[in-house]
Amino acid sequence: MVAIAIARQTVREALRRRVFWIFLIVAVFLIGLGPVLGFLTPKESQTIMRSLGLAVILLAGLFITIVTCIYLIPVEIERRTIYTVLSKPVQRFEFVLGKFLGGFAIVFLSIAAMGAVFLALVYFQGTTRGPDAGVLVWLTSGKFPKEMVLGVVLTFFQMMLLAALTIFFSTFATPVLNFFMSFGIFIVGNLSSVTESLTTSKNGLTSAIGKIIHYMLPNFGNFNVQNAIIHPTTEISNQGVFIRNNIIYALIYSAVLLILAVIIFDRREV
Amino acid sequence: MAAAISIQGLTKKYVDVWQKQEVIAVNNLNLEVQEGEIFGFLGRNGAGKTTTIKMLLGLVFPTAGDATLLGKAMGDNSVKSQLAYLPEETYFYDSMTGWDLLDYYGRLFRIPEPERSRRVQICLEKVRLQKDAWRRSIRGYSKGMRQRTGIAQALINDPKLLFLDEPTSGLDPIAHAELREIVASLKDEGKTVFLSSHQLADVEIICSRVAIIHRGKLLTTGTIKELTAGERTEIVVQGKAVTNGLLGKLQALVPDTERTGSDTLMLRTEDDDKISAIIDIVRGAEAHVLSIVPHRRALEDVFVETVRREEASA
Repeated sequence: MVAIAIARQTVREALRRRVFWIFLIVAVFLIGLGPVLGFLTPKESQTIMRSLGLAVILLAGLFITIVTCIYLIPVEIERRTIYTVLSKPVQRFEFVLGKFLGGFAIVFLSIAAMGAVFLALVYFQGTTRGPDAGVLVWLTSGKFPKEMVLGVVLTFFQMMLLAALTIFFSTFATPVLNFFMSFGIFIVGNLSSVTESLTTSKNGLTSAIGKIIHYMLPNFGNFNVQNAIIHPTTEISNQGVFIRNNIIYALIYSAVLLILAVIIFDRREV
Repeated sequence: MAAAISIQGLTKKYVDVWQKQEVIAVNNLNLEVQEGEIFGFLGRNGAGKTTTIKMLLGLVFPTAGDATLLGKAMGDNSVKSQLAYLPEETYFYDSMTGWDLLDYYGRLFRIPEPERSRRVQICLEKVRLQKDAWRRSIRGYSKGMRQRTGIAQALINDPKLLFLDEPTSGLDPIAHAELREIVASLKDEGKTVFLSSHQLADVEIICSRVAIIHRGKLLTTGTIKELTAGERTEIVVQGKAVTNGLLGKLQALVPDTERTGSDTLMLRTEDDDKISAIIDIVRGAEAHVLSIVPHRRALEDVFVETVRREEASA
């Protein structure tokens, strides 16, 4: 499939970029600092490590996604490599899809790498036996941190949605403009409780603007479950439905953004 | 013979929003390129050559007009499997090796393995890229190696119709000659080549027909033979009498007559019948003819004359 070939090439080019590795290495380093910080404050050790880990995955994921995806299409146009691609039997939707799949793969790889380190640390923090009891006993004495997996998985889908948004903007905006638009919408989308309150404002104009922002912009805030999964006192009601709905929301919203991206790119001269 | 490219009224206008100006890049272009010919598409920088090629390949969209490639509408994705394009500058993914680049483009043509690897090897051998460079990063390639890789990528799908935009520019003489031979050999394989080039000597050698475009407008088209027809004869006359009315007499007969020295004149005429009359006048003026040299018009002469004439009339 042509889109897969383009995706593979996209991953290859993205992995060559130093900024990707810098973000990833710094993020893994910061996640690794969790147990050290926890050791300094034994009472809060679990909370600190978990909060830090999830926050680092979110922030590093955010920057890796934006910095990777804003360049995927513009760089092909700027370097004119797009001429030799689109002059071949490659449909423009295949090109956009290939670019998205490549960006998606990078997001997946980075979240998976950070998530694996984070989950391993959380698991070993929860082991009830030490290595002196035997390696196998020690390795199997922990409790699989399901709720942390939920946090990592939802961050991944949040980043997938952000990747689709960034790819959408990259079909018509410069990388710099794209950076600010994607980043800005991510921030606003994370303030869904604020934008929701605007919808009920007594001022008609404020209410209308609030509704547009709240219902039109992607609701990134829905994917933030850190508070609920870190603090034992709070819990997500109907967790299965919540996860399913969020994943479906991310998939549908991403698909709509990609369709819009294809429509715009189809009309763009290169 | 069927037309590989048929262009009717192709026009591209750009609007400069800030200056509220309309720029016509290609103006009502009509052109036919027959299958199996190497067609030279000539013009100054900014004449509209690349824009025309990009419209034919669906990279930019025409403001008006239409075209067919190999019998199918321009922009039809199905015809692209039989097309190839080498852009003016060879823009590649520098981190890839020559082999990997061709393999990638082979994937875009949906060529399955092991056919794809076979094609990659054939193409790299055909363009004579050194074997030790096949698995090296393109970043370290010279201009000539990049250009060879560019032609190789254009051949990966064994195309019927190739668009080559300045394939030999900026190369050393050996690489230049080799790549010209490679392009010329495509005709023997029955391929149609649409060659945009400033290397008029190359075009004259390898193209069967050419078109000259200027400011988006087609000025002339024809075979090399037709365009360079009309052998020109240069006659040098020497004698003390050149100033004594001889110049005027000769200019009346041959308008392209000029003084080249204190006692020499140069006459240029395409009409061989005038030569004996010139000799009679020269003898009558007690001067003598130093040389009579026939000159074939080069494509460059035709190009320069055609473009200058158009610029003067504009």
